[in-house]
Amino acid sequence: MASFLLRRLLLAVPLALGVVFLTIASLDLIPGDPAALMLGQSATTSAVEELRNSLKLDDPLLVRYFRYVAGLVQGDFGTSFREHRQISAILGETLPFTLQLAASAIAISVLLGIPLGLLSGSRPGSFADGLIRLVSLIGLSMPVFWTGLLLMVFFSVNLGWFPVAGSGTWKHLVLPSVTLALPSLAVVARMTRSGVLEVQREEYIRTAAAKGLGRRSILYKHTLRNALVPVVTALGLELGQMLGGAVLTETVFAWPGIGRLTIYSIFNRDYILVQGLVVVLALIYILINLLIDMSYSLIDPRITYS
Amino acid sequence: MKYRLLAAFASVFLLATSLVFAQSTLTIVRPSDSVSLDPQFDTTSTGTVVFSQILEPLITISHNMEIEPRLATAWEVIDSTRIRFTLRQGVSFHDGTPFNAEAVKFTWDRAFNSEPPGLWASLAGPIKGVEIIDDYTVDIVSTVPYGPLLYSIALPSTGIVSPTAVEALGADFARNPVGTGPFKFVEWRTNDRVVLEANPDYWRGRPALDTVIFRTVPEEGARTLALLAGEADLDIAPSPSSLPTIEGNPDFDVQRVPGIGVFSLNFNLDRPLVSDPSIRHAIAHAIDRELIVETILEGNATVPRSVLGEPVFGFVDMAFDELYPYDPDRAVELLTEAGYERRNDGLMYDANGEVLRLKMLPSNGRIAKDLDVAEIIQEFLRQVGIVVELDVFEWSTTFSLIKGETLDYDMAAWTWFTQTADADYTLYPHYVSTELPPNSWNGSRYSNETVDALAEEGRGSGDLERRAVIYEEIQHQLALDLPTLPIFGLMETAVVSTDIEGFQVHPIQYILELFPVGRR
Repeated sequence: MASFLLRRLLLAVPLALGVVFLTIASLDLIPGDPAALMLGQSATTSAVEELRNSLKLDDPLLVRYFRYVAGLVQGDFGTSFREHRQISAILGETLPFTLQLAASAIAISVLLGIPLGLLSGSRPGSFADGLIRLVSLIGLSMPVFWTGLLLMVFFSVNLGWFPVAGSGTWKHLVLPSVTLALPSLAVVARMTRSGVLEVQREEYIRTAAAKGLGRRSILYKHTLRNALVPVVTALGLELGQMLGGAVLTETVFAWPGIGRLTIYSIFNRDYILVQGLVVVLALIYILINLLIDMSYSLIDPRITYS
Repeated sequence: MKYRLLAAFASVFLLATSLVFAQSTLTIVRPSDSVSLDPQFDTTSTGTVVFSQILEPLITISHNMEIEPRLATAWEVIDSTRIRFTLRQGVSFHDGTPFNAEAVKFTWDRAFNSEPPGLWASLAGPIKGVEIIDDYTVDIVSTVPYGPLLYSIALPSTGIVSPTAVEALGADFARNPVGTGPFKFVEWRTNDRVVLEANPDYWRGRPALDTVIFRTVPEEGARTLALLAGEADLDIAPSPSSLPTIEGNPDFDVQRVPGIGVFSLNFNLDRPLVSDPSIRHAIAHAIDRELIVETILEGNATVPRSVLGEPVFGFVDMAFDELYPYDPDRAVELLTEAGYERRNDGLMYDANGEVLRLKMLPSNGRIAKDLDVAEIIQEFLRQVGIVVELDVFEWSTTFSLIKGETLDYDMAAWTWFTQTADADYTLYPHYVSTELPPNSWNGSRYSNETVDALAEEGRGSGDLERRAVIYEEIQHQLALDLPTLPIFGLMETAVVSTDIEGFQVHPIQYILELFPVGRR
């Protein structure tokens, strides 16, 4: 296990370096000049040139790449073109909001999705099953900004329970987490349901029933545990998406996380900020995947790593 | 754990007391966050309206577009390169530093002499600097005779900063600005809110509001809902589609004034097809600008009268609707006269049997509905037999194409804001023959000796009356030559709660006057 962990962590280094290179190279390919954008409509060419020089934008690709990596190794993410602030300071302000939102959304999907999937899968064809399947279909198909606005109209404007948008208190967190959780809750419920249905057809379940185990015991100890492996895989993907791609939810609810920051930094061609965000996201993805792989062996001891 | 619980109780208690004692807070929602609270690094309108509460310029532009004193009490145009300002005495910055000629010089030197210069330096034009005459008198001097100088000095970006604070804080000044304005900086939570509090020692008196909160809510639907839920009092960028609902609501007022931006179709005269004036005139007759304003923009725009916005100094009503009324038959006639033949498929063909096909570069997402308008233009032109190909990119790409050395499009559509509110700012860079991209904005590659001479004279003259005549003549010439067809004029719009008094939406989107605002 330890050597597996070490190998995976070491693998993360070339992966991160590759991601940085691809980011810098692809930013180089897309048109749009950050200096011209910053100076706006009335900028003179000489002013743009001067700004480009001071931002060192005209250095060759490889020079910029190695300079950036050299900074990264020393923990320096660089300075934002537009905001003139350390990227680490900007990340320090925004990342916690994204983590908070993703954590509570994942918690909602797990705490509701798995029981619902279990209920639905253990009684296929029942009314509850039909209802859960229908609701999860709706949850999957509703676009996030639409769900978000509906929740706002109902819970904020009509009932006045939660604030429309913004951040600061736990109340601000409720609607965006529910909005973000709905699609993944649906995925988790559906995966759990199909896992449960599949596992229940296995020989060992029949054996367990034959040796006289109770229905509950079979369901929780044998069925659920075996049905969870694909669910955990799906959860990992969902979490990754929530951390990097909660752009719509963050936008609708004015949540100050990194999804919105990423979009703005690309629009403004704030290359250094985009690079910093990509590196952090890549590391988060690598970490999540590692955790998911490790959790497999906890859920199913037959899965081992060496 | 115990302490955390205690802290939680304490914060609940504080929140409760602050709710009880809160006197008057104004919460404003805006679509994007400030880039910086230092004018040096932020020239966006959503950012400028925030820092300009803290940092004040010498003079400003009032709601009826007149120059009004702020930190200067009087000014005198000495000649076309020099304006003398008498400064207000007895004013202090929020940190106690006295306001004087040194501070003015410091602010302007900082913008023009730093490496790289402040972002607003290129807005202000050929400024040489500030010369101190005595402690409370300064001359602001341009390098060449510069007619728009007074308007440059009235830019809200020129807010005077506290020299002590800038020197003490360095780069941190951008998040702790110190000025002389009616409000002081309290807190900035990135992408969430900027909080300001009243400056009790403000020279015009204590503002009526105790606290101003600028919240960033990017989604326009969410901004409207925040108003309806009572979380916000003022939306400075409402979407046109939300306004019909709001207008029926007795708790809110919708304010609109014609603004300084105009969305236009710019013809590239280097391209053979549109270099033919009859094709440009045909296009002008083919587009129903009134219908665009009524339907797509839902009445939140003006039918344009000139290439300049109505409040801009030098604006003259060119009566575009009479010169080029919507008349598709006339458009077809003009095209036929130009040698095109309309065939059974409804399209126009030239002598070689080629379809009349134009390439167009529209702006997308720069202002609300810009792409929709470009698409409807495409449809209007198809109805008179012209095929238009649209190349849609996001704004930063479109921007670099527009500013490219060559432009491989027959037409480009975008919005231009006369940021200084002086006609020179638009007419000179767009229509003087030497002002070509990438250095400047003559994307039409327009060249007319009379216009060149007039624009040059207007830039160099300090005589406002003469300048007004000059700009009228230029606009007449442009209306005839039609290198640019204005499609609609932008309106500045705001939705404000009826609990708020004293608020008035400004024609210049960079100016937001909060000193007279209070709660009823």
